[in-house]
Amino acid sequence: MAVSRFIDVFEAYDRFANGKRVTEQQWDYEIIPRRAKMLKESYDLFFGHEIIPTDDEMCDRLFMAGMDMLLSCGIYCTDLGKALTIEEEEIYQGLKMAPKKLTLGTGKDKCTLKPRRGNSFRKPIVEGGPTGAPISENIFEKVIASYAQEPMVDGIVSGVINTINGRSVVTDSPWEIKATMSEIRHIREAVSMAGRPGMSI
Amino acid sequence: MDLCGLNMLAGWTVSGDTIMIEQMPIFGGYTGGVEETAISDVATTLASFALFSGNFHLDGPIHIRWGVTTAKETLQVAGHAAAAIDNNTDLLIANQYYPMAGPCTEMCLLETATQAICDTISGRELLSGSAAAKGVILDRFTGMEARVMGEAARCAAGQKVSDMNETIANLYKIYEPTYQNQDIGKTFQECYDVTTVKPTKEYLEVYDKALQTIRDCGLDIKH
Repeated sequence: MAVSRFIDVFEAYDRFANGKRVTEQQWDYEIIPRRAKMLKESYDLFFGHEIIPTDDEMCDRLFMAGMDMLLSCGIYCTDLGKALTIEEEEIYQGLKMAPKKLTLGTGKDKCTLKPRRGNSFRKPIVEGGPTGAPISENIFEKVIASYAQEPMVDGIVSGVINTINGRSVVTDSPWEIKATMSEIRHIREAVSMAGRPGMSI
Repeated sequence: MDLCGLNMLAGWTVSGDTIMIEQMPIFGGYTGGVEETAISDVATTLASFALFSGNFHLDGPIHIRWGVTTAKETLQVAGHAAAAIDNNTDLLIANQYYPMAGPCTEMCLLETATQAICDTISGRELLSGSAAAKGVILDRFTGMEARVMGEAARCAAGQKVSDMNETIANLYKIYEPTYQNQDIGKTFQECYDVTTVKPTKEYLEVYDKALQTIRDCGLDIKH
């Protein structure tokens, strides 16, 4: 059946709110593991020793098993204790809405994220950085600059500043906001000093 | 998903921001083995786009015992999930890096390069990292790890899948046995001249040695 429109975050919230009540324990220990095991068997999935599959048919079966899992289980909201459901056509509508190309960064430093379609000869975009790891406040810019100056790096993924004004960054406190703003300023300065001010961050 | 996540997404959606949705399936967790974890990985990747308006997706299968993304099983989950999504959609997909060893060690560079080969060959569009020493120790990461990630990806792009499967196996057989005795390596301050942001001679020598090992394992990586 045709769908009225794609699902956005607001519709997702409504579906959670009206979803089936499930405890987190049921979700984690029963629904998900049982379904995953069943799907592995019904879609005949066995990876063997290959890290990257050479069997296209198995790739397609894995995709359909993932689709089946989303359709049969939905997604769980831990705060509401409810699971939403989604229809197959709605999933495909969402996939159609997803961008096929994204520009990251600006000016001469921008790069374009677009489908590689298998292992093309075009290398992936490299987002360099410590990926959420803790960095001392006094060397934050220098650490980020060490990534920004690498020719292979196209954009920056930041780490986390360990202190702000020498104070620890307490979660859910005003210091967290100050620390985050400080990180952004340090990163902008670091990419500028590396001669790549338009790099995506 | 929790309401905090939904509310952040709501703000970004109405502001027209570019939205990356991150999720790290745990191998050995609730879903169990590699196949089950890969199924869940595909399902949640699809949900990121179909339910939450994600523009690109950042994966990160992680090993429950080791807390790394570079173990054989987590590479297998990432490699299979990416190939499955890539074969069937034009979604933009990425992966993130948490090797066991720290900077200025050959193992750290081998782990990072191995995952970069896996992600590139399986069709991912973006590589994000690397958080050396599992990303949990203060100042134990540097730009040199991103260099090997990029160089390995550049050399692996377009290579034959079966050949690279062999290279990956050769590489993880070298570094996986060292997981038991994690070498956290050196801090950024020990790896670089902090004033000039230049890597030390010691790290450049370690880098050269790692590249030779990668070449010996089957990827013709260059400087």
